[in-house]
Formats: sequence, structure tokens, C-alpha cells
Amino acid sequence: MRDIIKLGLILLIITSIAAFVLGITNDITQAIIVERAELENIEYIRALLPEAEDFVRVEDENVINSEEILQVYEGTKNGEIVGYTVKTNPQGYNGRIELLIGMSIDGKIVGVKVGEHTETPGLGSKIADGAFINQYTNKETVLEFSLTKDNPVKDADIQAITGATVSCEAANRGINRATQLFEDILKNR
Amino acid sequence: MKFGRIFSRGIVFDNPVYVQLLGMCPTLAVTNSAKNALGMGLATTAVLIGSNMVISLIKKLIPSRIRIPAFVVVIATFVTIVGMLMKAFLPDLDKALGIFIPLIVVNCLILARAESFASKQTVFPSAIDGAGMGLGFTIALVILGIVRELLGAGTIFGMTILGEFYQPARIMTQAPGAFLALGLLLALFNKITSKELNEL
Amino acid sequence: MSVSSIFLILVSSILVNNFILSRFLGICPFFGVSKQVETAFGMGMAVTFVMALASLLTYIIQHLILIPLKLEYLQTIAFILVIAALVQFVEMVIEKTSPTLYQSLGVYLPLITTNCAVLGLTLINIQMKFNLIEAVIHAIGAAIGFSLAIVLFAAIRERLELYDVPEVFKGFPIALITASLMSLAFLGFAGLV
Repeated sequence: MRDIIKLGLILLIITSIAAFVLGITNDITQAIIVERAELENIEYIRALLPEAEDFVRVEDENVINSEEILQVYEGTKNGEIVGYTVKTNPQGYNGRIELLIGMSIDGKIVGVKVGEHTETPGLGSKIADGAFINQYTNKETVLEFSLTKDNPVKDADIQAITGATVSCEAANRGINRATQLFEDILKNR
Repeated sequence: MKFGRIFSRGIVFDNPVYVQLLGMCPTLAVTNSAKNALGMGLATTAVLIGSNMVISLIKKLIPSRIRIPAFVVVIATFVTIVGMLMKAFLPDLDKALGIFIPLIVVNCLILARAESFASKQTVFPSAIDGAGMGLGFTIALVILGIVRELLGAGTIFGMTILGEFYQPARIMTQAPGAFLALGLLLALFNKITSKELNEL
Repeated sequence: MSVSSIFLILVSSILVNNFILSRFLGICPFFGVSKQVETAFGMGMAVTFVMALASLLTYIIQHLILIPLKLEYLQTIAFILVIAALVQFVEMVIEKTSPTLYQSLGVYLPLITTNCAVLGLTLINIQMKFNLIEAVIHAIGAAIGFSLAIVLFAAIRERLELYDVPEVFKGFPIALITASLMSLAFLGFAGLV
């Protein structure tokens, strides 16, 4: 019994030293990682809302606590709000899909981008291709988009990719969530 | 044993991948390009040198019954440090290697060196052993990475080698290509070493 | 949490993203204990057990300890210790309660600690932001996929023993080429759903 306590103590000491060393390393590197991530983020969303000059992250609880909403940035130019970018992560065929949607304040989708995802290469991954994702650009945010297998007829119709139904549905849901958030809350902030 | 021999052993005669067949998961998973292979090899080398040194220093303080968990803690600490540094300074490489960075912890090569070398030797030879084994691992990975990238994309380290006329065999950068390329390389290695042995 | 998303996680972890043949996790036991179908099956069962439990435990640790205390950077160290302790514990329990099971699984259990499939699984669970149910289902799917690949592979290798393989390809090289063909076959599942 005393033996077990002694062994446990030795292991505990080793683990504590390890945790201490890691804590220090983490303090040093964390600041760099966060800063780099924020810069990358803004660089990335700039393409979705080219009109805006500055971006501020929206921390409002009503906004960021919505389902499948990750981040919201407010884009401004000369102090005036010109639009919002919303990051969503709907559950796809194989893990979550990160989507970034840029919307101008007058209610139009300016750009959509697919971020990190783990959809099947060659099938589900095609949601990132312009042929699919650019169908949303310049459409109005009041629309509720739905997928169709045939050629789109209505404005709200989006043509799905054959063999990637689940991925397309996920992406479509993510975009609908973003536009809904814009219509319900962001627009009137 | 001379330091030179300790160092060179890991590179050819006891090559971790081609001879000892250790660390197969990262060997197959991250060799889809030469650059990823090099990054993984160097990250593993850093962990190997660090963990070998620390383990050789504290070997007398650790009772043999908790030897393995203690070694694992030391290794995991170095892996996490390397992971943090990569995230901060080489974010692209970190993204490309993904979960295979934390998985260096369970690379059997590192625990094997701790158990069979560092826990019996002093600091300096342990560091040399870590460097040699790490370099052997890196070379093995880079060779595999070069073969796969060349056949799968027509490039090496991102530079185009095979021109327009070559239609890249994409499959080589995917899972089946990894198994195939390593299988053929091992056969080639067997062929070369068996010839050498016959001549000796 | 709908039935369809459970099904999706299962299909994708068993076939599309098979741990061994597409994610390259658990390669050591895949080659190490696949000489006979029976041992391969035993390993598969042991891994299934540990994976499901490890997913559950690491999820709890991640969400109840590491995240609230902002200690996410201790993830790797915490997870590997949990897995090592879990394997030890499972070994003790099985030894006491079911000697027959212990005899068939016993030798594989210590090997599981350094099986990167288990640590890999728990890290993927976190990375994919799975909830507790999804994580456990993912673990079961991954373990079934692992067992499926290793048992199929063992069946092929048993027959391969009887054939005249060129000298330089004997052992590992031919095993790798066999695995390559299996992986190619599993690539066909990529079109599923």
C-alpha cells in the first residue's frame, strides 16, 4: 500500500513538472497564435465583404448564441455599417462544414466561402467549388433557399450537386441560418 | 560505443522505418508531399532528442514499475511543446499535419528508444541516439514523400519536375498510394541490403 | 440528434473514413496481429471496448475539466494518461471477472495504449466538435471499421502464406501491397450517400 502511494506521488511530481513547463510554453505561444488567427480571419473575411474597411467582432450574446453560428463580424466604412459576415458550421456528411457568408446591409449576399470541412474528396468537397457556392451570390437575404435536382426556376432555387446531397443540404442549411440571423437580428441592430 | 556509430546506426542499418518498421502511421499518413514528410520527420526528431535526454537524466529517480507512464508523460510534454511552437510559427505545416502532431506521442519509435536506449545510457549518447534515429526517420519519410509527390503530382517540394507530358497519378497521394509506395520501397530496400549481405 | 445523422456517422466511420485504410490510424496492430483471423478478431474486440470507453471518458475530461479551467493545452498529456489508465483498469477487471475472456484478449490489451487509433479517435472527436452521443457512436463506428479491416486483412494473409511470393517481397512488402489493394477497394465507398 505504501508502495502504491509512493509510486503515485512520483508520477504526480513528474506530471506536475510537465504541466508547469507546458503552462509557460503556452503563455508564450498563445499570444502569437491568437494574434495570427485574428489577422488570418480578417484577411479571409475581407474577400467576402470587399466594401468594408474595418471589421469588428460582434460579441452580442443574442447573436452568437444562435444555433450553428460561430462568429459574426460587422464590416464598416467611414464609421457606417456596410454589412456583416457570418460563420456557421452545419453538420455535413462527415463532420462539420465551416461556411462564411458575407451580406451587405441592403440585404444581398455578397459572397460565400467554404472553410474547413472534411467532406468526401471529389464528391461532397464539390460544395466548395464556385459552380455550387456562387449560386448564392447576389441573391436576397429574405429568400429561404431550397435545393433542387433540376435546373433552378425560382430565385430561391439552388441546384444540388449529384452524389453529394447531404453535403449540399448541410451547406444550404448553414447559409439559410446566416441569412435568417441577418434578417432577424443583425439588420436591425 | 563510438558516437559516430551511435549516430549513423539509425540512418541505415537500424533505420526506424525500413528496418525496424516502427512509426508506420505517420510514415503512411503524412508522406503525401515531400514538405509534409520533412516537417513530420523534424518534429519527431526534436521530440526524440528532448525525450531521450530528459529520460536519461531522470532514469534513476523512476521506479521501474511506473517507468512506462513516466516516459509517456515526458514524451507527451515534448510533443505538446513542439505542437505549440508549430502552431505559432509554422501554422500552414501545422494544419497540413493535423492530428498527427499530437499523435507523435504514440509513435512506437520514441517509446522504443526511451526504453531500449535512453533508460540505460547517459545524456550525451542519448541525445546522439535521438538525433540519429530521428534523422533516419526523417530521411525515410522524405524519400517516401518524394516518390509519392513526384508520381502523384509531378512535383518535388512543390517544384514541377515532370512537365506537361506527365499525367499525374493522383492515387499516389491518396491512401492506396501510400501503402503501395512503401511496400515497393521496402522490397527495394530488402533487395539492396540482401545483396550487400551476400557480398560481405 | 436524428437517426439519419447517427447513421451517417456510422457509415462514414466504418467505410468511407475507415480508420486503418483511409485515416492511417492503428497501422501497427493492423500489421502486427493480422496473421490469423482469430487473433485479429480478438484484437478488434479489445479495441472496440477501449475505444468506446475512452471516447466517453475523454469527452467528460475535455468538457468538465480542461475547457472550464482553460487547460486545453494539456489535452494530449491528459488523454494519453487516461487511455493508459483505462487499459490497465480494463485488464484488471477482465482478469478478475472473466478468466476465459482474459485469456483470449489479455495479450492485446497492453498493446492498445500505444495504438494510435485510440488517441487519434479521441482527438478527432474533439476536432469534429461531436457531442457525447455522437462521440460514442463515432467510437463504435471507428472500432467496427478497424475490426472489419483487420479481420479481412488477416483472412487474405492466411491465404497469402500458401503462395510463392518473390523473396524480396516476403513479409512486410507484400502485406503493404495487399493493404494498398484493400484501401483501393474501400476508396469505392467514397461515393456512398
